[in-house]
Amino acid sequence: MTDRALVRKKGNGLHRRSIFPYVNAAGMILLMVFTLYPVLNTVALSFNDGTDALRGGIGLWPRVFSMKSYETIFQDEIIYNAFFITISRTFIQTVLNVVLTSMLSFALSRREYVLRKFITTALVITMYVNAGLIPNYLLIQRTLGLSKTFWVYIIPTLFSCFNMIVMRTYIIGLPDALVESARIDGAGDFYLFWRIIFPLTLPVVATIALFVAVGAWNSWFDTHLYNAGKVRLHTLQYLLKMKLATTTNSANAAMTTADAAANTTLTTPVTIRAAITVVSAAPIMAIYPFLQRYFVVGLSVGSIKG
Amino acid sequence: MRRAKATTGRTHMNGASLKKNFFWRTLWQQRQLALMSVPMLLYIGLFNYFPLWGWITAFMDYKPALPLFQNEWVGLKNFQWLFSRPEFLRAVRNTFAMAGINLVFGFVFPILLALFLHEIRTLRFKRTVQTVTYLPHFLSWVIVVGIAQTMLNSTGAVNQLLLSLRLIDRPVFFLGEGRYFWWLVGFIHVWKECGWNSIIYLAAMSAIDPALYEAAEMDGAGRFKKMRYISLPGIRSTFMVLLIMNIGYLMEAGFEIQYLMGQNIVMDWSQTIDIFALKYGITKGQYSRAIAAGIFKSVVSIALMTSANFAAKRLGEDTLL
Amino acid sequence: MRKTLLRMFLLLMMAAMVLPMLPLSAMAEEPVTVTVFVGEPRDQPTSDNKVFKMIEEEFGLKFEFEFLAGDLQETLGVKIAGQDYADLMDGGNYAETLITAGAFVNLMDYISEEKTPNLYTHVEPYLKRLLDDEGRLFIVPNYGRYYNTEDYPMNYVNGPSFFIQKKVLAWDNYPVIKTMDEYFDLVERYVVANPTNDKGQKNEGFAILCEDWRAFCLFNPVQHLMGRPNDGDVIVDIDNNYKTEAYGIQDYAKHYYKKLNEMFHKGLISQDTFVMNYDQYLAKISSGTVVGMFDQYWNFQNGNDALRAAEMFDSTYQGLPIVYSAEQAGKEVEEHYLNGSVINVNRGFGISVNAEDPERLVQFMEKMLSDEWQKLIWWGIEDEDFYMENGRFLRTYDQIQNAANMVWRNKNSAYVLTNSMPKRQGEMDDGNKWDPMVQPECYYLQMNDYDKEFLAAYGMQRPLDFFNDPIALAPFGEAWQIDVTVDQDANDAKIGYQDVQRKMLPQVIMAAPEAFDATWDEYVAAAEAVPVSDFVDFMQESILELVEKVTGE
Repeated sequence: MTDRALVRKKGNGLHRRSIFPYVNAAGMILLMVFTLYPVLNTVALSFNDGTDALRGGIGLWPRVFSMKSYETIFQDEIIYNAFFITISRTFIQTVLNVVLTSMLSFALSRREYVLRKFITTALVITMYVNAGLIPNYLLIQRTLGLSKTFWVYIIPTLFSCFNMIVMRTYIIGLPDALVESARIDGAGDFYLFWRIIFPLTLPVVATIALFVAVGAWNSWFDTHLYNAGKVRLHTLQYLLKMKLATTTNSANAAMTTADAAANTTLTTPVTIRAAITVVSAAPIMAIYPFLQRYFVVGLSVGSIKG
Repeated sequence: MRRAKATTGRTHMNGASLKKNFFWRTLWQQRQLALMSVPMLLYIGLFNYFPLWGWITAFMDYKPALPLFQNEWVGLKNFQWLFSRPEFLRAVRNTFAMAGINLVFGFVFPILLALFLHEIRTLRFKRTVQTVTYLPHFLSWVIVVGIAQTMLNSTGAVNQLLLSLRLIDRPVFFLGEGRYFWWLVGFIHVWKECGWNSIIYLAAMSAIDPALYEAAEMDGAGRFKKMRYISLPGIRSTFMVLLIMNIGYLMEAGFEIQYLMGQNIVMDWSQTIDIFALKYGITKGQYSRAIAAGIFKSVVSIALMTSANFAAKRLGEDTLL
Repeated sequence: MRKTLLRMFLLLMMAAMVLPMLPLSAMAEEPVTVTVFVGEPRDQPTSDNKVFKMIEEEFGLKFEFEFLAGDLQETLGVKIAGQDYADLMDGGNYAETLITAGAFVNLMDYISEEKTPNLYTHVEPYLKRLLDDEGRLFIVPNYGRYYNTEDYPMNYVNGPSFFIQKKVLAWDNYPVIKTMDEYFDLVERYVVANPTNDKGQKNEGFAILCEDWRAFCLFNPVQHLMGRPNDGDVIVDIDNNYKTEAYGIQDYAKHYYKKLNEMFHKGLISQDTFVMNYDQYLAKISSGTVVGMFDQYWNFQNGNDALRAAEMFDSTYQGLPIVYSAEQAGKEVEEHYLNGSVINVNRGFGISVNAEDPERLVQFMEKMLSDEWQKLIWWGIEDEDFYMENGRFLRTYDQIQNAANMVWRNKNSAYVLTNSMPKRQGEMDDGNKWDPMVQPECYYLQMNDYDKEFLAAYGMQRPLDFFNDPIALAPFGEAWQIDVTVDQDANDAKIGYQDVQRKMLPQVIMAAPEAFDATWDEYVAAAEAVPVSDFVDFMQESILELVEKVTGE
């Protein structure tokens, strides 16, 4: 780069700097408006009277305030148990998954590892194949006997290939010198992983933890398939899904049964759905701000190097 | 035990056994790495590969009530049936189109968001934007699609805006014309998932050495130059690996949003392979057909992914495998 | 870092040790637990539910329910593959799948006049229809067994008809509307005279819900216009050897869609109607702007309730049983929207082969079918859920409200269980109705004044009076109940046919008037290319088989 070019660039840069932040901030605010609307709309609906909400046209504020939807959801004491089950599974699954995934990523990031290619290929392929519901069900229900136990939430989801790839890519991107110098000091691979690499990967660990936690928190299908008959093991999402289906179905049920005649329930699928979204998403949404601090620029590499 | 076997082989060395010998010896040296990875290999063997026995049911007229091998073998009938259905071929086309649009949008918008977020200096504002943009991820498709439909119908906000700007002189039938459908799905995906998907790039960017930015600043690089020459290269390997992975997912265009938005006149543009398999397969007890469609998807996916990986390797980029 | 991880692991281990004990702690020493699967979404009854308490005391039985949150066919598939059956199973629409898989014990081994008089009386008149070729019975029907009366089981029509806002009929001075042309003429005149409702919102002449399976609002009207009750996608000519055809592609169907085409071009049908989802449909209904639509009452009941709650009584709906004119149908048509009562074949509980003591479960059903328990199931506990006056079973307004309130029912009713168990309908020996909602006193008590006046203007007592008496049930029952999934080709053809209707009928309705015929022909050709005949042939065959089985001809 010639000096002249440099000067010109510098001028350019300075000039841009002056208005860019405002344009950028304005763009971000617009984006927030777009993304916040559906969220606030959902919250508003959840506090609206069900029958009134059917008429549509509710924006950011409830028209006829009502707590009925929440009362319906929290009607049964079983939901507290479901909260406990969901929190437990999310916590255990996240910790195990993150630890095992990072360990695996580390092993598969070592270029000299002889099984690297074979294991990576075997893992990657699993992302694109699916045996179908029945064989999986037979494995878990018959072969492993996990149905109607808490472990059916944990054991089939010990790590995830997608996350492994993301993390492996990150580890490969770290300076080799870190590992090599430790190696020269005679450090084993476990030591390298725990003491050198793992602390450096916190941003990506946070990312993976978020992915896994949200996935675990939101899953309901395993409860439906394996634990539907065990009320004490029902997860939050399963209960809420059932609640929504019941509300939606109460009208349709009248098709075959004569007893749902004068329907005076004050909840409707529209408001129940909104309240369910709030109840199920609010707790897990709240973990993001805690993980955000790991996304600070250069936290890891910079600090270690310095 | 295996090591012992390898050692006895040492007396009669030829090329192959030398290589084998070397392999086991290296593996022994790398036993800690093996401990960190081989159990997981066994795990996926059990949970992901073993159940694949189910694939043979694609060649049967499978009824779950019967023991596996008492089902009638039908050869390739289920596959022939799939490819003889115009609906299936349309579903393949739709899946590719929508997955393709999602693939491009799913990279462009989150990366742009991550880049511009990265430029925000006020930490609190930055975090606020991050948190807010990621919120729609937690809304179900029913809610998002419902709001989108209300906005897009003939009296909805979008048509009102276009009318008042005199860009159109009568409302556009967004939801009723097939040619809009794929793009609507693409944009609604961006709306819902852009913030969420940008997290991965934000995490990748946090690995960039701040010294690079400082150096660039000293050289007088402006924001866009820094984005172009530091931030983007910094996430290059993440981008490449995700790209290869997602090319393999071109057979996955999702299911819910199309189901919710497309069960009407636009059906010919909305049905994906998954909807097809559900409609003609699972919900009617025709499991073999669903499995056949699944095998087709897997084969194409793996072919796509390995081709992309191969191409990346030839171009000297980071690869998945 | 390491310490934190260590702590996390410790916590983890503790959690791991505590959690498996959870289900154990819930299991105290207790009476026999019966596992129950119901193929519908339901709330779990509360732990202090009063009826379940009574059942436990009386029979020593406790119930562990599994309800359905996902897809029924899929769920049954995995259960069958794993032979993972609950003791009592209600397979809903797909009970047939369970029966063919051999999931149920033959109840005729346990039911006899001596051992189970109630159950025997219950099924005896219908045995021909209920028993399979080998004389086996797997499910005692949960609904449709009427005692002492053949009355229509309700005071209003829960099923299909052309609905219209009551204020429209009032505006035209309570006319009697009999034919399709009269109906649409009234809709048109009203909208022309009243372009907006009293809140200034634009009135919409006729709405058609086309979303997913609810698109029956688009498909089904023609059979009723031709004077038949609901047989699903086919029309059956009872007088002509049960000749079955897909009415949607016949020439007589054209009159209806031609009419809709005209209405569309007059601006009485909006194009948005073809892409709206169910929520938006209900929103329109409950805003009071939709003048008329074809639907089944239960499908838009929430909307009607919303209008009532907003006290917009004049915008609530009355169903009209309209038909084609003689010219359109090619014959004089009498309306038959209502079908005679139909026993709910293969709906309800079967006892699975995994049940340890089927005898005990059959005896449980037997006792639950006694007068005493039936009263409890239908009416509840005296002076709590109903009261007696002059030998009549009555309810106060609050008691009626309670009985319709899901939250209340989870606590005070065993409906989750009894819905799937055999029940008596019709009349008790003393003339009271088994079903409280059919008991006239209860029905009038909850009717509002506007409705009473509206009905009085027509000289009627209840909404049902707009309709002819139910037609005698055909020997094959109602054709929509026939399970098509047992035949692969027929099933594919049905899906294909419905897709063609869903895609192309809106185009037919929106076609330019001069292009109408061409578009219609295109639609018929597409349906024939499916080929829809695969489906019709299967239906024809099944109907003839059923007729032969029931009448012995």
